Amino acid sequence: MTRVIEVPTHFDDRNFDTFAAGFGEWPPAEKVLIDARGTQWASPYGLIGILTAGQALAEAKREKPLLTVPTSDEVKRYWARAGFFTQAAELFELHGKVPKSGATGPSDVLLDVTPVRASEDVHGVVHKISEGASRILHGELGLEMKATLRFSMALSEACQNIVEHAGTSGWVAVQAYTFRRRLGRRVVVIAVSDAGVGFRRSLESTHAKRFGERWGDGAALEAALIQGVSRFRDPGRGQGLAFIKRFLDQWEGKISIRSGTARLSIVPPWDEDIPLSDHLPSFPGAQVQIIIPAQDPKSR
Amino acid sequence: MIQTIQMGHVLREAVAAPYRNLVTRPTGAAVRVRIEATLALSNGLTALLDFSEIELVDLSCADEVVAKLLLTPQTAYFLVLQGLREDHHEAIDHVLTHHRLAIAAVPPGCMAPRLLGWVQADAREAFAHISETGPLNSSGLAQALGWSESRSREALGDLTRRRLVRPVGELYYPLQTA
Repeated sequence: MTRVIEVPTHFDDRNFDTFAAGFGEWPPAEKVLIDARGTQWASPYGLIGILTAGQALAEAKREKPLLTVPTSDEVKRYWARAGFFTQAAELFELHGKVPKSGATGPSDVLLDVTPVRASEDVHGVVHKISEGASRILHGELGLEMKATLRFSMALSEACQNIVEHAGTSGWVAVQAYTFRRRLGRRVVVIAVSDAGVGFRRSLESTHAKRFGERWGDGAALEAALIQGVSRFRDPGRGQGLAFIKRFLDQWEGKISIRSGTARLSIVPPWDEDIPLSDHLPSFPGAQVQIIIPAQDPKSR
Repeated sequence: MIQTIQMGHVLREAVAAPYRNLVTRPTGAAVRVRIEATLALSNGLTALLDFSEIELVDLSCADEVVAKLLLTPQTAYFLVLQGLREDHHEAIDHVLTHHRLAIAAVPPGCMAPRLLGWVQADAREAFAHISETGPLNSSGLAQALGWSESRSREALGDLTRRRLVRPVGELYYPLQTA
C-alpha cells in the first residue's frame, strides 16, 4: 500500500498544512509517494519542506519514498537550478526526467537549496550569500547597505538553530521574488527547515514545568520567539531570534516558525496571517521562514 | 604596553579557512581560546582586539568572544576593541547589554574610546569625561561634572570594577589605546 501525497499547485507556507496533513500520523506506516507532477511553482519553504519529509522518513527507517517530478519543463528546470533535485536524489526515488543542474542558478536564487549539517556549513552559507545579498537587498529592495550584514546575521542565527537544537541536519534556501497578491512588492525569503526534535522537545526539560498544562508546540514557540528562552542554561543563549525579530520590525518583515502542530508568526501590517495557529497537522522538526519586503518607494 | 590582536588572523587560524566572518558558537569559542592563550603569554596591560579584517560578527560569536572574555574571572588585562563597523557595534552592544556588561571601543579615526553595552548613566558620563580629559581623582571628576563626591566615587568604582578605567593611586586613568 502506498500513501500518495500531492504537492499543491502553488506550494508555499500558506498551504504547507495541506501537504503536512497528507502524511497523517508521523511516521506514516505505508510507503510514501510525493506527487509533484501538477506543481506549477514552489517557494523555497515548500522545496525544503519536501526534503524535510524525505529526511524524516529516512531517519524513521521507512522505505525510501518516491517523488514524481513536475511535468512542466519550466518548473523542473527552475527546481534543478535551485539545487533541489541534487538534494532530493539522496532522499527519494525520483520518477520523471530530471534536467541537469545549470552551472549557475537563476539571478533571483540567492542561495541554492543547501544542506546545513555542522557549523562549518554556516560559514559556507554566510560566505556564499554576501555578494548576492547586497545586490538584491540594497539594489532591488531599497534597503540601506547595513541591512545586508544584518540579513547575513539573521541567516547565520537561523542556520545555527539547526546545528544547535535540531539534533539532525537541515536545509536552507534564499530566494527573491514578487509577492503579487499579498503585497505587490519584491521580497527576499529565507527558508530554513530540519527534521529534528522540534522546539517543544528541545525546550521541554528546561521550560515545560513553568508552563504547566499550557505546555505544547505553541507554548514552546512562544517561549523561544517571544521570551527568547533556550534549552541551554548559558545566559548568553536565546538572543538570535530576539535580534532577528528586532530588525524585522524595522523593515516590516515577517518571521514565522512552524514546529510540530503549531505555527507562530510575527505578522507585519501588510500580512493577514494568524499570529498563533495550533492543532495543525503534525510535521517533523521545525520550519522557519523570514520575509523581508522591498521598502515602500515613498519611504526611501 | 598594548598587545594588539588581529581578529582576522586569529579567525583564519581557528577555522583553517580564508573566511572573514566571525559566525557560529564553535568558531567564537575557538577564537576566544586563542585570544586567552595569547594574553596568558603576554605582559601587556591592555589588549586591543582589532576587528578591521572582519566582515561580519553574528550574535553567537559576539557572545562567545567578547561577552565571555569579559565574564572570565580575574582578568589581568584591560580589553579594548578597535576597527569595528556599525553592524559589529550593533551585535556586540546587543549581547553585552543582554549580560549587563560593557567594553571600550575606539571608533575609526578617533583616539578616545566609547562604551558598548550596559553601564549606569553616571558611569558612562564619567568614562566619557576621563577618556577626553585624562586622569582625574574623584574630587576632580565631581568638580568637573558638578556632582557630589560620593556620586563621583560610585561612578568611578563602577568603572573600576568593570575594568573601564585604570586606577593608579588616587587617580583614574583612561584606557590606553595607542
